[in-house]
Amino acid sequence: MKFFRSLLAKYMVIIFLAISIVQLSYFAIAVFMFGIGKTGFSSEVLRESEVEEKWLTEAKSIKNFTEDTIAQHFKDWKGQYPKSSMFWVSEDGTLRTKVDVKEHLPSEWTPAFTTKFIKEHYGEDPFTVIAFLGQDESNGFIVFEIPREVFNPPLRNVYEQYGYLVIAGTIAIIIFFIAISFLFFRGIRKRLLHLQEAMEIRDVDGLPIETKVKKKDEIGQLEQSFNRMVCELRESKNREQKEEQLRRELIANLSHDLRTPLTKIRAQSYSISKEVLSEDGKQAIKAMETSIVNIDTLIENLMSYTLLMASKYKFEAKEINIIRFVREQMTTWYPVFEKEGFEIDIELDPFEKNEWQVDPIWLGRIVDNLFQNILRHASSGKYVGVETESTERYDAFIIKDHGNGMKNESNAKGAGIGLSIVDIMVKGMNLDWDIESSESGTKIKIKHYK
Amino acid sequence: MYNILYIEDEKEIGQWVTKDLTERGYEVTWLESGEEVDQHIAFKDIAILDVMLPGLDGFSIGKRIKRENKEIPILMLSARTAVEDKIEGLNFADDYLTKPFHPDELIARVEVLLRRYQKNDDVLDLQHLKIYTKEMRIINKQTDEEIQLTGKQFYLLQYFIRHLNQILTKEQLYEGVWGESYIEGDKTLMVHIRYLREKIEINPAKPTIIETIRGIGYRVKQ
Repeated sequence: MKFFRSLLAKYMVIIFLAISIVQLSYFAIAVFMFGIGKTGFSSEVLRESEVEEKWLTEAKSIKNFTEDTIAQHFKDWKGQYPKSSMFWVSEDGTLRTKVDVKEHLPSEWTPAFTTKFIKEHYGEDPFTVIAFLGQDESNGFIVFEIPREVFNPPLRNVYEQYGYLVIAGTIAIIIFFIAISFLFFRGIRKRLLHLQEAMEIRDVDGLPIETKVKKKDEIGQLEQSFNRMVCELRESKNREQKEEQLRRELIANLSHDLRTPLTKIRAQSYSISKEVLSEDGKQAIKAMETSIVNIDTLIENLMSYTLLMASKYKFEAKEINIIRFVREQMTTWYPVFEKEGFEIDIELDPFEKNEWQVDPIWLGRIVDNLFQNILRHASSGKYVGVETESTERYDAFIIKDHGNGMKNESNAKGAGIGLSIVDIMVKGMNLDWDIESSESGTKIKIKHYK
Repeated sequence: MYNILYIEDEKEIGQWVTKDLTERGYEVTWLESGEEVDQHIAFKDIAILDVMLPGLDGFSIGKRIKRENKEIPILMLSARTAVEDKIEGLNFADDYLTKPFHPDELIARVEVLLRRYQKNDDVLDLQHLKIYTKEMRIINKQTDEEIQLTGKQFYLLQYFIRHLNQILTKEQLYEGVWGESYIEGDKTLMVHIRYLREKIEINPAKPTIIETIRGIGYRVKQ
């Protein structure tokens, strides 16, 4: 049952039909021919010589040369050869009996006309036989004329008469077959295109939409498979989202659980710092404070790094004015550096195109990590500079310090993860960056190619 | 005397913050969960909420407080530092501070919120100026005269006072005071700041009240 719904079956039917039409048409022509043979067209082949012979014999055998007998003979012949015409010219040259004569003949035949007639009709159409009546030549002659076409083979006559019908029929069959094939393939094409369109439509969640299955043939099965795929895709996306949610939740909880005791440590150290302390005690409290801040940053970086490595860190790029963005970031960092007694040098000149396609949260994180590093590892230079640079190839903002450089910081291990995050995020936003670090300071360039 | 509603389930942290805030002169009502928040919210000037709490979480409590008492500023104080949490918190809360925090930072943020909500009817002493923040009356202490400001100068100074100690970029100031987006190179703001300085600074050529932060913007620091 399934097979008969398939496109293959349909196609087989068309091919089968086409072949049978060819066969049938041969058969029909044969039947047609046979029918024609029976009605009107003699299937026998007339021979000119036979007709001539018969006419001559007949003429010779006539004994009674009256108009009636001749007319009787003519009538017999006419019955035998319906297309023929006959006439009798008597010995004295008078045109006597005539049957179906279409050409103009004189009533009196002179020797000259007779000669002319013979000359004109020799080997021409109609086929003409002239015979003397009776045994001698004293009774005049009878003439038999018949169009030469009657000597053609019967098929030729059929072609001449019905040929156009056969050609028209053949063309009609070819056109019919082409039309059927065209409609068949157009139907397939239309449905394939429809499916292709359906495959390209996307839902709000970026997934394709299921298509409606109308027929149960191969394309219908393809549509069903497509729908199944869409369904699986949706399920897998849901699953992925759930996993992502779970993972984020887990990391957020972990981070929370680490920070709570850290806050308690700070609470205790703060309480201790309110007591009267020796100089060493104050130093210890200060070191503890620094460690708390460092651990806090490390936890944050570790969590971000884990999410980033698993590509689970939320990313939403949008167009932002980079100059404005960096300036606003600076409003929070300025007081921090100011408190640490840094020299702060900010020189932000607008680019030709200030809009960058970035995630502001990511970029904020990059800036924060870079400044945190300066604060923690390059504070000896007491300098932080932020400036813009524009070349033919890129626009960039530069963050620089006058610290000891990255190589000389033996205790700068913590900077690693912060910079790794910067690296992943910079590349994730199609930006580029480079670091120039020497003993007299570090210069970090965040580049946006034009 | 400001009344603070503080919800924190961690006893050590709760005790510490309550003690510190009380020492700094605030009246603190500390709850360990959000169940009784409705009975305590009346006459509070600010609410400080932890997020991870037994029962109702801090976000739900905060939203409920905001729905019924729009005039109470809310500060979320949480060890949850994920961006998603901050964004969710800042949907309704006025500020989000992450643990471990320094008590000085907590106080600074509380003060900013109180000022923004104009709970602060205190007199603000700003160098030679005495500013009554509620009605924005400015007295020059040296001459005991009131300084009269025009409309835009008034709003500009008010904006600075509300964001006291914060650096404000040109864009933020222009958009905050004029309510239109700032166009790079526009001199309007600079002109108005110059006029304002001429009225409030002792020496407008060397301004001390409205500081210029080179490359970023301006700041009024207490």
